[in-house]
Order: sequence, then structure tokens, then C-alpha cells
Amino acid sequence: MRKLAETLLALGLGILVGALVMALWGHDPWSSYAYLLAGALGNTRALMSTISRSLGLVLTGLTFAVGARAGLFNIGAQGQMLLGAVVALSCGLLRLPAGVHLVVALLFAAIAGMIWALPVAVLKLTRGVSEVISTIMLNWVAHWLVLYLVVQKLSDPILGQRTFTAPLGMRFPVIKGELTWALALVLATALFFWWFLWHHAKGYEIRAAGLNPRAAAAAGISVRGAMFTALLLGGVAAAWAGAIQVLGRFPYAITSDLANLGSLGFDGIAVALIGRNHPLGILAGAFFFGTLATGAAKMGLRGIPIDMIYIVQGVIVVSMAAPEALRLIRIRRPAVALREEEG
Amino acid sequence: MYPDGTVALTGVDLVVRPGEIHGLLGENGAGKTTLTKIISGLLPPTSGEIRWKGKAVRFSSPREALAAGIGMVHQHFALVDAFNAVENIALGEEGGGALGPVRAASVRRRLEAIMEESGLEVPLDTPVEELPVGVRQRIEILKMLYREVDLLILDEPTAVLTPQEAEELFSVLRDLAAGGKSVIFITHKLAEAMAVTDRVTVLRRGRVAAVRETGETSPEELARLMVGEELPPLKERAGRAPGKEVLRVEGLTVPGAEGRPAVRGVSFSVREGEILGIAGVQGNGQTELVEALVGLRPWSGRVELLGKALAGLGPGEIAALGLAHIPEDRHGMGLVLDFTLAENAVLGRLKPFTDAFGRLRWGRIFRFAQELVSRFSIQAPSPKVPVRYLSGGNQQRLVVGRELSKSPKLLIANQPTRGLDVAATRYIRELLLKLRDEGLAILLVSADLDEILELSDRVAVMYRGAFAGILSREELDRGRIGLLMGGAREEPVG
Repeated sequence: MRKLAETLLALGLGILVGALVMALWGHDPWSSYAYLLAGALGNTRALMSTISRSLGLVLTGLTFAVGARAGLFNIGAQGQMLLGAVVALSCGLLRLPAGVHLVVALLFAAIAGMIWALPVAVLKLTRGVSEVISTIMLNWVAHWLVLYLVVQKLSDPILGQRTFTAPLGMRFPVIKGELTWALALVLATALFFWWFLWHHAKGYEIRAAGLNPRAAAAAGISVRGAMFTALLLGGVAAAWAGAIQVLGRFPYAITSDLANLGSLGFDGIAVALIGRNHPLGILAGAFFFGTLATGAAKMGLRGIPIDMIYIVQGVIVVSMAAPEALRLIRIRRPAVALREEEG
Repeated sequence: MYPDGTVALTGVDLVVRPGEIHGLLGENGAGKTTLTKIISGLLPPTSGEIRWKGKAVRFSSPREALAAGIGMVHQHFALVDAFNAVENIALGEEGGGALGPVRAASVRRRLEAIMEESGLEVPLDTPVEELPVGVRQRIEILKMLYREVDLLILDEPTAVLTPQEAEELFSVLRDLAAGGKSVIFITHKLAEAMAVTDRVTVLRRGRVAAVRETGETSPEELARLMVGEELPPLKERAGRAPGKEVLRVEGLTVPGAEGRPAVRGVSFSVREGEILGIAGVQGNGQTELVEALVGLRPWSGRVELLGKALAGLGPGEIAALGLAHIPEDRHGMGLVLDFTLAENAVLGRLKPFTDAFGRLRWGRIFRFAQELVSRFSIQAPSPKVPVRYLSGGNQQRLVVGRELSKSPKLLIANQPTRGLDVAATRYIRELLLKLRDEGLAILLVSADLDEILELSDRVAVMYRGAFAGILSREELDRGRIGLLMGGAREEPVG
């Protein structure tokens, strides 16, 4: 409850500062916010678009959250997401019955995500390499690898600005408007993460290891094992975030500049922080993020400069992510103090 | 007095004369460090005054004390590893500014002069990280001389030194004293107090137990003053006599920091219905000994629990053999503070509370937590409250309750009552005695000598990683234990 109040307070603060910025540059803040809300939630079509945009963010948010629960700062979602997208799309080269094709694509994407998380886990657990460093590097490896595949190997022979499209049998069926049944996959995944963390022994171990590795080790819990599980699960979620961009959203392909995959992986960090690293909080955080993204696009149509929109968006997101970010930093501090005492 | 209301010192008088090496002797928690922190400006006293060179002074920071000529060398050195001695000493000098070649040369000239005068030799150009601990300590002392202190406070300076380095340090201190400087030398080692000081002030529980001219006292007297005279009332055992051997340790060696062994070839056994107490000043290897036994540290030697060798087993596997562990640091090792009471109740014993698929059985977990709450009188609003919000006593009851509910064969209790209030302390001590009477084997490690004497059937005294002796109940005598804790040699290690 306190956390919810904190987040709402931060939201209010962010909105006020955003309004102040807009007012200073001569835009009417309240009508701008009204455009934003109307643009994102005003009618069914807009709402479906907003939800659809949120789905990938839920998954990359889960990636960061499960890592944070294990005491990791996992920012590898971006690379795993890109890889998941390209592997899912590549499954379009196979000839399989409708439906089965979708399941197979998701399966391969999941495996790709785990493979991309594996070096991070192995380096961390055997050599103590910081996951921050290894994931940043692997993100770039994935970025160039995927760009190469998209441009050189998978591009549409007629429309060079994107890859070939996913065959119909491999796509998520449409619910309404932009929204597809990828929604079900995302909700189920979020629910699974929640169940796993609070109702499964392995999830309990992940949380114990993240909050107090010494106590966890003393209790016979394998801290490394917990981190390993968290990294691999995170890889699956991130890869699916990429996969549903291709299999569950127009244009059912990857654009040659990777723009329709965007920075989903990084935005997931903010989403996880807004959602307090809790799967259910992340659903709300991602929806909020999606609202801002969709609404911002509509604000642009009203003549508000895109940079202004980014500033306002950034202010709001940062203020909402701040409480949890500060908490994560505070958790680390006692550990340091402890080492000094022992020194 | 500390903000939490703990009174560390009560009406302590300390007089240090010019040109004197003054020993400050006492057990852990006697108040030695607190006293010197007040003198050197790190802590404000609640009442009383400090007179320095005849004038009443009140320092609000170490910087002020240093400017007045009082400098302290802490146990943890304040040196930058990548800098050499000149750079380290010039660092933080009042009005020093950047260390260009001109200033470096002048600092160096002064240092060379001081080194010549005091006989305190250190290499000036080697980065500190490449120097042994003893030399780093000398750089700290040199830094104080460079700042022209007249009173030098050394907090347990020999704790990190080899015997040879300690001997060299003593001769440096004697030279300084001969040159008119005063030194406060904090220690809990009797031999050092006898060897290097001119006078000794003995602290016990925040009060001055005595002041003695070193020449007119003996290690025996100091030990007695340090630990007190009276023995606590002997607890009659209600149960049977100790039974069969539960834990057997032979030649246990545990590596510590910096490659030196923290535990050196310790051998002992604990039997059913017996409490073996391990006394000793903190930092003599007790922590490492316990962490090795519970599987958290690598070790060598032979350890058997109920006849099964423990070599190569992890904490979970050892616990499964019947070991329960009350860790000394309940926040760091015993509990996950942000977990709820219920979640902590099953920490380390999740197995009975999961099904074949690893699903948690929350119903059972809550029932079990509720059971612990009522059996061990834990004051908590609900099993869903994070243990962070429980008092220290209730947290410890939870740890103890959880560990005992494993129906262990051996209990290792490390500082089980540290930081607890009187009621919780008494509760836990009585519980330990009751469990012993019911046949549990208990290894009790405590820096609180009263606790050891009140509860133990046998007492081992640990000093520098080895047992200085194991005494039976009949042989117990404070003076003797005090001597052993202070490093006096007795019979061969047993």
C-alpha cells in the first residue's frame, strides 16, 4: 500500500514538473495532457493500440525484475529481445501447420533467449564477471548480428525496407484492432513469474538469494543456482518480447532499421522499476508506459514538438522509477558496510 | 553513551603523562575504543571533560584533535593503496593543495628528517599496496609525527602484525616516548601490556577497574582485573551425564584473510548432553571455526558429525545430518530481514513445506510459523510482518526456534545473546541449559565470559587461532581463563 502511494505521489510530481516544462516553452500543459489521454485511451481503437504496445514491455520488464529479485542488475533484455525476434521470424522459413507453427516459433525464440543469457550466467557464476558489463557487450553483439541477418539474409525481395512477413499460420490471431492474442501469452507469462516467485521453492530461493545472499548460503541455498535460474528465465521472457513484435503486431516483420523492435529491452528496465519488480506491478507499469508512448504520438499530431514530448515522458518515467531504483541501491549498501566492519 | 541508550563508559578517569606509554586494557566491549574515540574527537562525551596540556578542550572532529596534537592510528589504515608514503602523508594536509614536484620534495625532506630523528624507517617511493602490513602501520605513525602530534593513540596495533613486526613496533614506541611523546596503547593482550607500557588502566564494562604502574603489577593481577573476581552461580545439571560423542574435530585448520590460517589445528569433541564453551577475545578465529563447521568456509583436517565425515559437504547437506546453527550475525546470516516472519521460519528447511513439484505449501508454512510464535513467545503482530520490524530479541527467538525445530543432534550457538535485552538473554540461556539436559550437544561460542562460565560444562579458550587450553567445570577459574584469553601459555594445546 505504501509503495502504491509512493508511486502515485511520484506520478503526480512527474506530471507537475512535465507541465511546468511545457508551460515554460509556451504550450498549454493541461490541454496537452488531455490530448495524451484521449490519444491513448479515448476510444476502443486507441485503447487496443495502447495495450498492444504495452505487451512487449511487460516481458522485458519481467526479465529485469526476476534478475533484480535474485540480486542481479540484468540489462541484457535488449539483446535477447532482438535475437528472439529474428529467430521467431526465421521459423517462417519452415513449413508447418497453422498454430503449431506459432508454438514452434515461440519455442525456438525461448531457446535463443536462453542461449543468449547463458554466457552472462556462466561468466558471472564461474569468473565473477559483472552481469552489467557482459550484458551490455552482448546487447551490441546481438544488435549487429540481427541487423546483418535482417538486411542481408531475411529482407523482403520486393520491399527492401523490411524482412519477409511471418506466414499467417505463425501469427497470433487478432482480437480487435491492433491487439492480438499475444495478450494471452503475456498475461500467462506474468502470472507464471508471480506464481514462480511466491509459490515455488526455486522462486523463494531466488528472492532469498537476492535479499541476503549470506543468509541464503548459510541456509543451504545455492545462490549461484538462483542467479542462473533468474538469468535464464529472464532470457525467455525477453526473447518472447521480441517474438510477439513479429508474430503479434503489424507489420509482422522486422523493419530494416529494427525500429519496430526499438528499445523495448531498455524500456523494460523503467517498466520494472515503476512496477516495483513485481509481475503484477509490471503489468500496470507497462500499460502506463504504453499509454505515454501511444498518447505522445497523438500529441505530436497537435503540433507539440516531439522533443518536448520526450522530455515530458522522460520526467514522468524517471520520477516514477526513482523510488524503486533508490531502494535497490540501498539494499546493496549494508553489504558494503558489513565488509568494512569485518575488514 | 550511544544513541540507542547503551552506556559504553561510566565515569571513567584516564590520566596520561608526557613521555609515557599508557596501556588501555580490557575485554571486548569494555569501552577501550569508545574512550579513545572521545579523546580523538570522533565521538562527543555525554558528560565530563578532557584536559589537554592543562586546558579543558572539546574536539568536535578528529581534524580539530589532530590540530591540537592528538592523533589516532585505527585498526583499519587510512591509506590510499596506489600512493606511496610521501603522497599518502601529504594527502589531506591542512592547506596542502596539489602535490607538485616542489611540495613533494619539501614533504620528502621533512619526512627524511623525522625518520632520522625517530628511527622509524619506511620506503618512501613504493606504492603502499606493495608493502607489508607492518610497514603500512609505520607510515600511519609517520603521518602522525609529520602532523606533529604529542599524543599518539594506537588501537590494537599488534592485531595485524607478526610477532617480529610487533617487537619492532614496540622499540619504535619506546624511542618516541623517550623523545617526550605520549602514547595510548590499546590492547587486550597481557603480554604486550607488560612488555611495552609504563602504566596500565584496566577497563571493565565501561568503568575503570584499576590503574597500575606496569613495574608493580603482574599478568595474573591484570587478568583478574580485566575479567572480574566472582564466578557466576553454578547451574546444577538436572539431566544425565554427557553421553556419546556427537561432534569430533581433529586438526582443523581454516585459512583466513591474507593467506594466514585463522584456525590452526584445533581438536576437540562435543558429546550428548554437554555444552562446550569457546571463550576468547573476538577475532581469534572463532568466526572462522564456526563457519568451517557449518560448511561456509573451506578447511582441512578431520571433522565428523555422528560418525560421518563432513569434508566436502555444503551447508544444506551438513544441516541435514543434524546440525543447527545460531549465527553470530543474525541480520547478516540468520535472517532475510525483508522476508516475512513466515518466510524466515522456513529458511533452510523448505523441504517439508513443498510438494513433489516444488510448490510451496503456504498453509503449512503459516501453521508452522504460528507454532513457533506461540512456542517461543515471539511478539509479532502477524506471520506476514517482515522480520525487519521485530525487536532484536524477537528476531533471535525466531532464529533459535527455527533452528531447534529441525530436531538437531548438535547445536552451534555463536554469540546467541549478543545485543539482546535482559529478558531475552535469560530466556535463551535457560533454553540452552534445558536442551542440554534433554541430551542435545551444544557448542557455545561467546565473547561474554559470564555467559561461557554460566552455561558451559567444559571451556576451551581460543587465542590466535588455537586452543590455549580446555578446562573442565572443576578447573574453571576466571583468573586462569583471563590469562589464557590474554595469550599466556599453559599446558600444551589439547
